[in-house]
Amino acid sequence: MSTLSPELIPNPDEELIYAGEPNEETTGGSQWREAVRTLRRSPLAIIGMIMIAFFLVVAIFAPWIAPYDPGDGQWLNQITPGNYPGPSAEHWLGLDQLGRDVFSRLVWGARQSLIIGVVSLVIGASAGILLGLIAGAFGGWIDTVCMRIVDIMLSIPGLLFAIGLAALLGQSLTSVMIAIAVVNVPIFARLLRGQMLGQRRADYVLAATSVGVSRSGIVFRHVLPNSLTAVIVQGTLTLATSIIDAAGLAFLGLSSPDPSVAEWGRMLTDAQSALSTAPMLAILPGVAIVITALGFTLVGEQMREALDPKYRR
Amino acid sequence: MRVHTRSRRVLLGFAAAGASLALVAGCASSSSTPGDNSGGGGGDDKTLVFGASADPQVIYGPYVSDGESLRVIDQIFETLVALKPGTTEVQPGLAESWSASENNLDWTFKLREGVKFHDGTDFNADAVCFNFERWYNFKGAAQDSNLTYYWQTVFGGFKTRDNDAVPETSIYKSCDAPDATTAVIHLTSPNSSFIPALVIPAFSIASPTALDKYGDSVEVSGDSVNFTGTFGTEHPVGTGPYAFKSWTPGDKLEIVRYDDYWGDKAKIKTVIFKPIADGPARKQALEAGDIDGYDFVAPEDITALQASYQVLERPAFNVGYLGMNQNSGDLGNQKFREAIAYSLDRESLLKAKYPPGSEVATQFMPPTLWGWNPDVVTYPYDPAKAKAALQESGIKNPSVEFWYPSGVSRPYMPDPTAVFQAFKANLEAVGIKVVPKTAAWTPDYLKAVQQDGKAGLYLLGWTGDWADPSNFIGTFFGRANSPDWGYTDQAVQDGLKAALQEPDQAKREQMYKDLNAKIMEDLPGVPFVHNKSFLAFQTYVTGYTPSPVSLEQFAAVDITKG
Repeated sequence: MSTLSPELIPNPDEELIYAGEPNEETTGGSQWREAVRTLRRSPLAIIGMIMIAFFLVVAIFAPWIAPYDPGDGQWLNQITPGNYPGPSAEHWLGLDQLGRDVFSRLVWGARQSLIIGVVSLVIGASAGILLGLIAGAFGGWIDTVCMRIVDIMLSIPGLLFAIGLAALLGQSLTSVMIAIAVVNVPIFARLLRGQMLGQRRADYVLAATSVGVSRSGIVFRHVLPNSLTAVIVQGTLTLATSIIDAAGLAFLGLSSPDPSVAEWGRMLTDAQSALSTAPMLAILPGVAIVITALGFTLVGEQMREALDPKYRR
Repeated sequence: MRVHTRSRRVLLGFAAAGASLALVAGCASSSSTPGDNSGGGGGDDKTLVFGASADPQVIYGPYVSDGESLRVIDQIFETLVALKPGTTEVQPGLAESWSASENNLDWTFKLREGVKFHDGTDFNADAVCFNFERWYNFKGAAQDSNLTYYWQTVFGGFKTRDNDAVPETSIYKSCDAPDATTAVIHLTSPNSSFIPALVIPAFSIASPTALDKYGDSVEVSGDSVNFTGTFGTEHPVGTGPYAFKSWTPGDKLEIVRYDDYWGDKAKIKTVIFKPIADGPARKQALEAGDIDGYDFVAPEDITALQASYQVLERPAFNVGYLGMNQNSGDLGNQKFREAIAYSLDRESLLKAKYPPGSEVATQFMPPTLWGWNPDVVTYPYDPAKAKAALQESGIKNPSVEFWYPSGVSRPYMPDPTAVFQAFKANLEAVGIKVVPKTAAWTPDYLKAVQQDGKAGLYLLGWTGDWADPSNFIGTFFGRANSPDWGYTDQAVQDGLKAALQEPDQAKREQMYKDLNAKIMEDLPGVPFVHNKSFLAFQTYVTGYTPSPVSLEQFAAVDITKG
């Protein structure tokens, strides 16, 4: 990438994203410091962060927190159809339809959600950033091609796209992660490209160009870092939808081929048949999904407000 | 009874769409009020509405093998040999008696006199031979194994062989009609399951006049079957207690009492079969009073329904088993298979996930069938024994590929995923690593397991069609080539062949008992369940007798409400 596209002046029909403030503050750590200050003052963000922290601790330390193996069915002999033992000292949240410890399954389900969420986010965001970067940096026909691909991907409803892809790739955890990642690609590509286009007109870019900084230097040292804040905000929000998507796909039967792996979405599916007799089996994983997704959404939204000057008061 | 691989999906789709339409329509119309007993006349205009799980494929016996088609055909048509209601014992049907020649090749049927088809023509020996000859002479598309499954299973091939999948030989030779009430059927080799198999409605006698008039031609292209002859779709004519009235696929199929029936006349004038594919929707239709009864009650609904409805139990005539393919991995090791068998807690699984009354299987056929052996080797749940057997097997780091089907519910396995998970936990508890594999039931799963022999452990089962052990263990272990078991014991194969040709019933029974003992010693798989299925009826419905092979007579059913 030795030369930057000559068309530094964007087309008038391209979307305008606020370019950030053209002073050194936007590139340095002070923007983050200010953001942290804003977040600390926001009760919503604090609630969200507590939820995330709780989720992360549970997910990371699942093997130590869960009292039993999530697939252990040694209490199957206590089960009859429609009659599942409730909470007890031995099983804090009772047993499921196959005599497994519900609490252990919820805890391991958190880990599974975190793995799927983070991996699909990393894959999706990396691919999206790369695509956005190419489009934003080169412009011209490359930009047009990239963006049309993105438009096509965006025109298909995300979950539907993921279902089709997961079905096509076969039933495995990898295919679920890839499917969710692919859905995330256009979101990041579009976001980064928009950010970069906005930055290109900024005074500091003009200044850097005028003092002879190379084009790749401008892209990597100035434009990209300045565009990444929006990407990080988007990443937090996407983690929430990824966890919901993973649960949705698992609910539809698209996840690991091993049904005894603890997954919140699958727990919901299994609980369906017992909805009238044992509603807790459906409510518990449902609440877990809501809390986790809500945590990431709250923090993401608050971060967006704190970092995006548009929201600044 | 078996699974259709063709056209079922389309039909189910239609049925589902139709059922939802019917439900919507049901709110507005009251044309077919269930259990209608108004209008006086000694209740002569009684109507029973039955919730079926799908439409019939076609109302012509020789072309079907699915339960919903057989259910309707069994009311309109009759077979030479019938079943005593609620049992698998044979009794006279259209034939009053039958006898075999010394060599068991020529079977003489003495036919019932004074029987007339619904179109007024006479039932006689010519009609019997007409039907048998017609079946034997099926050509082209009609030789598709999805259509003439039962003929091919019981009798083998046809006069001509238009399809490579068709068996090469046929045990059917010819049929004579020396006089109007005597039909003689000649076989090419003795076969002891000939008489018990004749109860299947696939071998019901249709009116030759109507068959000639409307035709039974059929076209098969790709995945769809088109019945171009209208006998089976618009004009089915038999001798049964009910005659066909009308059929609107997806909505309802109506049959009416045949007043000139030779035997006990039907108690209810009109029976309507309403296809409702969705299980919960059938239950709601019963609760709403839209139907008088339905089949396939879900295990978890039984207790709730018992409070205000009748729940009838169909005796178990099936077996669900965990197959162990001896060509796969370490499964050829007898001790390893024993370890697997001892590790499975079948009792707890049945208690948790099967309806009350289901039984742990000890062998590959149900205890209600003769030839069942009470003294076979059993492998009760015993993790310690399993670990010991594993030790003896000498296998280090034991691991198995375990296949289970997705998106299916079978009579012997309402929830395959649950069975898989329970067994997986059992196997892991004794230290056997499980590699899970899954596929859609048809065609992927059945193909992978039965044709390609890809699976190590797998879940499968069988529902009996007729009361003969050859329909269970003969089907499983009688094949020279069995990719699913990798078990082709010559003694077992020879024994099965000999038992099929043995004319003496007492000897046959002992032969099958010995075979069951030998098979369970060799342990090609672990049979785990004989499951019951359930029907629910409004309290005012009487006289419905569930049959182990699901052949139930609506003629005996009545409605008694004031």
